[in-house]
Amino acid sequence: MRSPILKQNNVLIASVQGELTDAELGQLRDELVQSARRHRSTGVIIDVTMLDVMDSYAARTLRGITQVTRLLGATSVVAGIQPEVAFAMAQLGLRLTGTTTALDLEEALALLADRERGGRPPDDP
Amino acid sequence: MAKTGAADLSNLLGSAEMAAITAEELEQRLKFLELGAADEERLTSVNDLARRYADSVIDDFYQHLLSFEDASAFFANSQTLERVKNMQKEYFLRLTQGNYDLAYSQNRLRIGAIHEQIGLPVKSYLGMYNFYLRAVAARLSEAFPTEPDRVLAIFLSLTKLTFLDIGLAIDTYIFSRERTILEQQRAIQDLPTPVLPFREGMLLVPIIGLIDARRARSLTEQLLGAIRSERAKVVIIDITGVQAVDSQVANHLVQTIEAARLMGARAILAGISPEIAETMVRLGIEADRFATVGDLQSAIDLADRFLGYRLTKEDGEAAAIS
Amino acid sequence: MTPDIMVSVAADVDVLVARQKARALAATLHFSPSELTLIATAISEIARNILLYAGRGEIVLRIVEQLRRRGIIVIARDQGPGIADTEQAMVDGYSTSGGLGLGLPGAKRLMDEFEVVSAPDRGTTITMIKWES
Repeated sequence: MRSPILKQNNVLIASVQGELTDAELGQLRDELVQSARRHRSTGVIIDVTMLDVMDSYAARTLRGITQVTRLLGATSVVAGIQPEVAFAMAQLGLRLTGTTTALDLEEALALLADRERGGRPPDDP
Repeated sequence: MAKTGAADLSNLLGSAEMAAITAEELEQRLKFLELGAADEERLTSVNDLARRYADSVIDDFYQHLLSFEDASAFFANSQTLERVKNMQKEYFLRLTQGNYDLAYSQNRLRIGAIHEQIGLPVKSYLGMYNFYLRAVAARLSEAFPTEPDRVLAIFLSLTKLTFLDIGLAIDTYIFSRERTILEQQRAIQDLPTPVLPFREGMLLVPIIGLIDARRARSLTEQLLGAIRSERAKVVIIDITGVQAVDSQVANHLVQTIEAARLMGARAILAGISPEIAETMVRLGIEADRFATVGDLQSAIDLADRFLGYRLTKEDGEAAAIS
Repeated sequence: MTPDIMVSVAADVDVLVARQKARALAATLHFSPSELTLIATAISEIARNILLYAGRGEIVLRIVEQLRRRGIIVIARDQGPGIADTEQAMVDGYSTSGGLGLGLPGAKRLMDEFEVVSAPDRGTTITMIKWES
């Protein structure tokens, strides 16, 4: 299943459509990083609303994306983690430390717009 | 409180949950009342007499009872009344049949349970015994006019037996009351923890009383669901009302807070007691994993700051809001 | 009793198959959506472990009943190199492949019962059960 990457001004939005294999996740990571560099994006949103399981591999991959994009000067936001998935992750100990999270795509966009304007929200613990 | 009229008494007779008595306990009570073989003999000696006046005693009793409004409400249905009268007659006759053993006691307990279930107040139930004693005293005097000592002896034996019965009846009532209290306590424990939308983007979760693993799990589900439906960005968990938590619950709370963060909401834990603080330190929960404040007001202030709210007071003076 | 469901794990797409089948089977029991996610997540971790360490293996899914409660049992088997010290492996943070090392202890936290039987060159069998609440 391909995950489309959309561009909205300076922000890249990758919507994960349902279940991805490890290979597909890795592919998404590479594409996102390439695009972010090409377009000099300042924001990257990974929308995982449709993801029904987040295990340690997926979490690692997401961390990888956010770390690399930060090096490229972009802020990454993981948006749309569902309640059951959030709880399973917390039980597993997958905290996504250092990664900004948002309730959904709408909030993520608002958050990035806020940062652009210079109103930096307090740092995540 | 009456659940009468329609109450199917034969069903109630089958009810398994009621006070119970052991053989040892019965033994103790008989000893205490000094109810023994001699009493049994005296009572069985007037068994035939009792059979002769049973009906009139019962009739008199119910006539008396039904003349009182609050009692007559329990026997509004004539079918119920007939059934109960027959039961009373059996009960009454049993008093002079001897064999005051475990089966006897269990039967008494069951009858008490039935009366409690139809909502008959203790005072009415006790009043019945009183009526019996007086009615029987009168009949005994009539039957043995020249033997007052004998009458007294029989009467005293009967008194011992009725006090055994009264003790059992009161046990039944107490048992039922205690069971109701237990059920209500459980119901309170099962009440879900409220997740309250406080301001736009803010949720308040006041936790009161004991929190066990089950409540903690239910709390998490509610909270995370509410974050989604209310689009909350800040959650205040107020544990001022919680004295202590075990390590399982403490861990669960921390996981809930982390799950909330994964959904884009930050949590503020308010009102941590010294005991809970100690538990968390012992579990190695670092203080920087989430915001903690001393009391609810501080939590609300902090939440306001996160959300960019500032409270100003309207007092006629112009106040700058930036 | 319903028959066993067996999923062969040899490629990373099988991780998805395993968790989809587990979710579907568990859904026939009395589990909350939250619990279904926990089960699917635990299986994801275990299935990935098989790929990572053994290259291939199998996962068996079954409904069990014990003392009037039902549950789902997951048996993950492989003929891989085995775990030298299973006790150590159950301690958070332990892993020889350089990953986050969350696999086994994490999965254990998500399920109700968890057992790992393994020895060097003898392969690994992980058995986990989640009961209806």
